[in-house]
Amino acid sequence: MTPQLDRRAFLKLAGATAVVAACGGATATASPSPSGSATAAATPKPTGTISVYSALNESTNNELFKAFTSATGVNVQVLPLAAAGDLQTRITAEKNNPQSDIFVGGSSEFHDPLGKQGLLEAYKSPNAANLKAEFKEASGLWTGWYTGIFGFISNNDRLSKELGGKKPSTWDDLLDPAWKGKLVLPDPIKTGGGYIFIATQIFRFNRDEDKAMAFMKSLHANIAQYVATSPGALLLIDQGQFVGCPNWSHDILTEKTKGNPVDLTVPPDTGFEVGAVSIVKGSKNLPAAKAFVDWVLTPEAGALNVKLSNRGSTVAGVAPAPGSPTLDQVKLVAYDRQWATDNKTRIQQKWQQAVGL
Amino acid sequence: MRSLRREPVLLLALLAVIALVVLFILYPQLQVVFAPGPSGYADFLAGGTWLRPLRNSVEVTLLSTTTAVALGFVYAYAMVYSHMAWKPFFRIVGILPLLSPPFVVAFSYLLLFGPRGIVTYGVFGQSPVIFGLFGIWGVQTIAYFPFAYQLIADVLSRSDARMEQAARNLGAGPWRVFRTVTLPLSRPGLGAAILTTAIYVLEDFGNPQIIGGVFTVLPTQAYSLISGFGDFTGAAAVSTILLLLALGLYVAKIRLDGGRAFVTISGRASSMPRPPVPRTVSAACFVACLALAALLILVYGTLVVSAFTAVFPTNLSFTTRHFEFVATGTNGDALKNTLVFSTVAAGLSAVFALFAGWLVQRGDWPGRGVLDFLLIMPAAIPGIFFGIGYLTAFNQAWLDWVDRGWLIILAMVFWNIPVGYQAAVAGLRQIDRSLDEAATSLGASKLRGFRDVLLPMLGGSLRVGFVTTFVRAVTTLSVVIFLFTPATTVATIRIYQLVNDLNWGGATAFTVADIGMAIVALIVFAVLARGRIALGAARA
Repeated sequence: MTPQLDRRAFLKLAGATAVVAACGGATATASPSPSGSATAAATPKPTGTISVYSALNESTNNELFKAFTSATGVNVQVLPLAAAGDLQTRITAEKNNPQSDIFVGGSSEFHDPLGKQGLLEAYKSPNAANLKAEFKEASGLWTGWYTGIFGFISNNDRLSKELGGKKPSTWDDLLDPAWKGKLVLPDPIKTGGGYIFIATQIFRFNRDEDKAMAFMKSLHANIAQYVATSPGALLLIDQGQFVGCPNWSHDILTEKTKGNPVDLTVPPDTGFEVGAVSIVKGSKNLPAAKAFVDWVLTPEAGALNVKLSNRGSTVAGVAPAPGSPTLDQVKLVAYDRQWATDNKTRIQQKWQQAVGL
Repeated sequence: MRSLRREPVLLLALLAVIALVVLFILYPQLQVVFAPGPSGYADFLAGGTWLRPLRNSVEVTLLSTTTAVALGFVYAYAMVYSHMAWKPFFRIVGILPLLSPPFVVAFSYLLLFGPRGIVTYGVFGQSPVIFGLFGIWGVQTIAYFPFAYQLIADVLSRSDARMEQAARNLGAGPWRVFRTVTLPLSRPGLGAAILTTAIYVLEDFGNPQIIGGVFTVLPTQAYSLISGFGDFTGAAAVSTILLLLALGLYVAKIRLDGGRAFVTISGRASSMPRPPVPRTVSAACFVACLALAALLILVYGTLVVSAFTAVFPTNLSFTTRHFEFVATGTNGDALKNTLVFSTVAAGLSAVFALFAGWLVQRGDWPGRGVLDFLLIMPAAIPGIFFGIGYLTAFNQAWLDWVDRGWLIILAMVFWNIPVGYQAAVAGLRQIDRSLDEAATSLGASKLRGFRDVLLPMLGGSLRVGFVTTFVRAVTTLSVVIFLFTPATTVATIRIYQLVNDLNWGGATAFTVADIGMAIVALIVFAVLARGRIALGAARA
């Protein structure tokens, strides 16, 4: 670039870069559609590219989709946002002209409303036939392929120094005044995780909402802060800003394996999420999208996801990650997902009143 | 009206501006406003969950705006009037907060001033409650005073030195000159700065999200409704409440500006130097700026240190692997996209804003007030809804041939119009109408008068528009989060993804790379424009 460029030349340059960007982008986004072959119509072999909206972690995305491509030959163009609500909103906003074929990851609570709005394509994968009913939507709008269990993260140094190294063996242990000012919780108003924690308490007290609210109120006395995102709360414990936090077990394990001075406990009577996969209605490559759903429900994909993300698999026979809790080992509450969804606003408001926020 | 009838070109230009504003500001936003429907609004309003966030928003906006504008004024005054040393240094440090993407910087405050913060606990052994009102107040003050500084400095640097010299010659002391001449002359700029800062603060969601805790403000509520629960309807209702608040700010701004004339550039140009300020004032300015700069360096230094350490703050061993990570895969493309989109958007936005500002400020056609409001409105729209509005409005099958990058560029152009527009209006207000009237009475068309007479004098406004739009485009996450595609991923999206992935090292390295790239770009612009674009708006 010569230093003699004047303003006009600069504008030309800006225009040119824009054109270059436009051309470059156009070639990159043009998705090869399965070339119309009449022979393949009977049993369409999945080809081409699918666009996947993924709420999974980045490291999981990269490895998982690579494995899918090598298993099926279908390419994946991934749009990663580890915030399932953002993706749900995006799919809703794009309903006139869907840009995605697959929505993968995130609790089924984020997929279910899309199905009810008619934005998902029902597909009952043969690989989902043996899944428990609670792991899938009856008409096939979404299918659960992994599970996450709610646990408790603690900062090792501060736990041993300030609480004698005593981890909570029940949720009620967190009411001990020794925890005062040392706990954080994902905000039940702002995060799915925080809300699942309250709902879990309600189910733990056999749907006695007053008892559950009394628990939340006592817990509130010990809680220093409600954090706006679940991962954000983990970061605070990693740094030792606070000592402990109820959070997702798999994410806690991942933080631990990264070398952070933290540990995982899973108190009994805890809640869990079902991570889902769904096909977006209007998919431009339905055979490949179905192939994707089939594939994530294979034991191989399940095992890979377990290895990459420490989550559990819904597929029978897939071994859990080392050190990770499984649905059979952990004592779970009878978590009624539908009830929890339907009563969300009411429970949130009741909680706000109980703790005076 | 008469001039419009006489000049069909002017009329066409006006209609084009109106069409663009309606298409790219009003129409997408209406998609969001109408999304909940009457029953959606009724349900949401009856729920009452918005009352406390509304009160919190008003409270924190009042507090943060007051302190941010006060500090911004001090910084601007020091840069424009005082003879303090190290001005180039202060200028660069002063733009750092403008260049920083959301989220990551808020985490830096936490690392420094949190319960186990490096400063608070490490140095002073205290575990303060940073979360809540006081935390947000402090953080937003630091984050937004540079915006106020940019706007105020632009106005101060163009106020007429002759007035001040005259006042001094008539025997007024420096303080009296400041109070009775400088301050009143900078009133339009101050009004614009207060309004703009207030709207930025009102709309800020990165800082309250990290520092706020349960102190929920409207943007964090809206964002959480989407992010945590996919509740678009409720979120759109919250966004509409925000818009109404901004309308209130706008009305207040009109009152504030009053009816006084603020002409300081008249037909006879002057190149008189500003009256000298006392040595003590310069020294005080230096100390104040140094304190503010030290604070900023501490905050951004933490990011740089994090980017070069294995796991900050638990494992402080030096590493370059985070930067190696930034150089891998498609990360480089994200940085390139940011640069291209932001540069194009800044150019388009600055020129369009200036032209629109002239049409409104110098025009005599009816309905100018409506256009004026529409051009200010984007500043009041939370970026996330600007993005959703664009996605809803323009994600149409018949538009699929258009590259998605243009959607992002257009969103950046129109979301950032208010800054350039307000700078243009403030600039025009200080130029005597007799100047362009002289041109028109000599036979020039209005358009020619604009091009040949006014435009050369509005370099400052154009600079503010370009630079501010560029840095806001570089740093925006919320506008693009619903518009990006894999091929049009930008740096802030990557940072957001890394933060969500708890890749703190990668996120800080990406932030440092992004800020570094923006600074280099601004230097290149300055060179290309032969020094007419300064780093930051203020050229003392």
